[in-house]
Amino acid sequence: MFNQLKARFGSGLAVGVIGMIAIWIIAMVVLPQLLMVDYSFRPNLLPADIGGPKDVYSLVNYQTLFTNKIHLEIFFKTIWSSVLVTGLTLIVSYPIAFYLAKVATPQKAALCLVLLIIPFWINEILRTFAWYIILAYKGPLNALLLWLGFIHRPIRFLSGDGGVLIGMVYAYILFMIFPIYNAIESLDTNQIKAARNLGAGWIRTHWRVVIPHAKPGIATGCIMTFMLAAGSYAVPSILGSPGSRWFTQIIYNWFFEGGDWNQGAAYAFLLLVICIGFIALVMRVFKVGLGDIAK
Amino acid sequence: MDSSVHLDNVVMQFGEFTAIQKTDLQIESGEFFSFLGPSGCGKTTILNMISGFLEPTHGDVKIGGQSMRGVPANKRPTSMIFQNLALFPLMTVAENIEFGLEVRGVSKAERKKASDRLLELVALDGSGSKKVTELSGGQRQRIAIARALAVEPRVLLLDEPLSALDLKLRQHMRAELKDIQRKTGITFIYITHDQGEALTMSDRVGVMSAGRLQQVADPITLYRDPHTSFVASFVGENNGIEGKVLSLNNGMAEMDCGQLGRLQGRVHNTVKAGDQATLFIRPEHFRLQAEDNMLTIPSKIEEVNFEGAYLTLNANTAATKLAIQLGAHQFSESLVAGADISLSYKVEDAIILGAAEYV
Ligand SMILES: Nc1ncnc2c1ncn2[C@@H]1O[C@H](COP(=O)(O)OP(=O)(O)O)[C@@H](O)[C@H]1O
Ligand SMILES: [Mg+2]
Repeated sequence: MFNQLKARFGSGLAVGVIGMIAIWIIAMVVLPQLLMVDYSFRPNLLPADIGGPKDVYSLVNYQTLFTNKIHLEIFFKTIWSSVLVTGLTLIVSYPIAFYLAKVATPQKAALCLVLLIIPFWINEILRTFAWYIILAYKGPLNALLLWLGFIHRPIRFLSGDGGVLIGMVYAYILFMIFPIYNAIESLDTNQIKAARNLGAGWIRTHWRVVIPHAKPGIATGCIMTFMLAAGSYAVPSILGSPGSRWFTQIIYNWFFEGGDWNQGAAYAFLLLVICIGFIALVMRVFKVGLGDIAK
Repeated sequence: MDSSVHLDNVVMQFGEFTAIQKTDLQIESGEFFSFLGPSGCGKTTILNMISGFLEPTHGDVKIGGQSMRGVPANKRPTSMIFQNLALFPLMTVAENIEFGLEVRGVSKAERKKASDRLLELVALDGSGSKKVTELSGGQRQRIAIARALAVEPRVLLLDEPLSALDLKLRQHMRAELKDIQRKTGITFIYITHDQGEALTMSDRVGVMSAGRLQQVADPITLYRDPHTSFVASFVGENNGIEGKVLSLNNGMAEMDCGQLGRLQGRVHNTVKAGDQATLFIRPEHFRLQAEDNMLTIPSKIEEVNFEGAYLTLNANTAATKLAIQLGAHQFSESLVAGADISLSYKVEDAIILGAAEYV
């Protein structure tokens, strides 16, 4: 890159540009993260004690999670709920992506894509509040269901995990639809016809032909949705109830209410590491390579 | 088993556009039938209606006498070989061939037996575990055939299956396809824009143009006795000379061909005196020496090509250019560019067709 820039702009400018990019990456990305790693291994001390004899590296902050039963429970529940969100989003997104890629005429597909994207111009917090209103005990969804006679008394959507799941599926659906749509789009339509022609019903056609082809897209969508869900803060804090706390909320509390940045950093890194490990494991199981996803 | 296919007055419209004009056609059980026509004339659309990917706007497709209306593609006794083959790239060769059997719940052992047998039929024994992408074009072609045959269809639909192959392989595959058709007795419905392919393989050919079936006949009739100008010029090489019909007499007609004078040829009953018409003479029907009952057209040689067994000439006449094909024994030193020759033809070998269709 340096040589290319040098050939075009001369070495002075090249050094300047590269230097600026380097400073940007180091100062804005690498250093803060390193600082956080550093924090996470040190005890939370009064300013006077920092750098003193008590300031030693240890794994204490990491051990806290495993000794705090409630936090540990929330941790695993967050992972599990994120898996659930990912699964639900996949179930909702796959038919939409298939419809857009293979069934709809190009004009209809374009219209649908625009209709899907426009709501996402609105801030996530606002969108989530909209769901808060929709799902409220005396909100429009309950009113509609009551009116249609599907239920006899309103459902408390917002008291369990239901609200959080619905809110998250909605919040991250585009991250799932787009990669799958791209993958299915690239499938030769004759492959689908060939499967049908050989006698396959719709389920088998998808299972044996469309899904294997779309696997990299599905993997990409699932990874993005899972990471976003596990790291989500806005949705669980707005749509969640006390019983459905997210691990990010615990981290937030350590940082801004407990004032214990060291502990918070350790929690944040544990979440990151476990999520990455979990994804690696799932990719192994479904035989998806890193190269597939980068495509 | 009755494997006939009946296109019972089918029409296919896409919105305002009529892709297939009203067509009624019976394809017999065990027949090798080809649809021949230029790209975009509606050939694939016809196959899609037979295989169930499209429902005709009007009319009905009947297979073995049974109406296929409402029968989905996966329940029809047809099997298709796609223009681009559409093999499943993520499956092995054997998995490809066995797919249709897997769908039908055939046991693994039975499937293996079937794919081994089919691989043998297409002369690719032992390649079952290979990936599709490891095969050459001709080999993939055969796998596509094996895959389509595995489900034991009553009707095999082939959509320009040889168009991606080189000439040599294409000719070889023609013979193989014909052979497989004979061995299996399946009704073959073959689509092509290559008239050579259609003529060499088929029992009957349906020539199509712009969504309309122009003529259905066996290859020899199609070549000798075309019913429309389109068929005359699309099937085989032909020379067309424009003119106006003067008189008709007992299946023959005389035409005023402007500067070429009066020419005669066979005629069909729809042509009337006074009509604009075209006189068609095939290149191989010209002679250099006139005999009895021959007409002569004076012309000047533009180009001579020696092709071994025969030679081809391009010649200019007062009105139009002509292509001529002569047996090699007729070659002489006097046939050089610029030489004047008189081209003769037998009146019965020429055919006069009007712009209107003959049905
Ligand atoms: N699904 C469709 N919608 C609209 N027009 C179509 C559709 N399928 C085919 N056509 C049109 O019908 C005509 C015939 O197409 P096709 O059957 O594919 O021709 P061929 O196979 O002879 O080349 C073409 O003009 C094509 O554009
Ligand atoms: Mg076609």
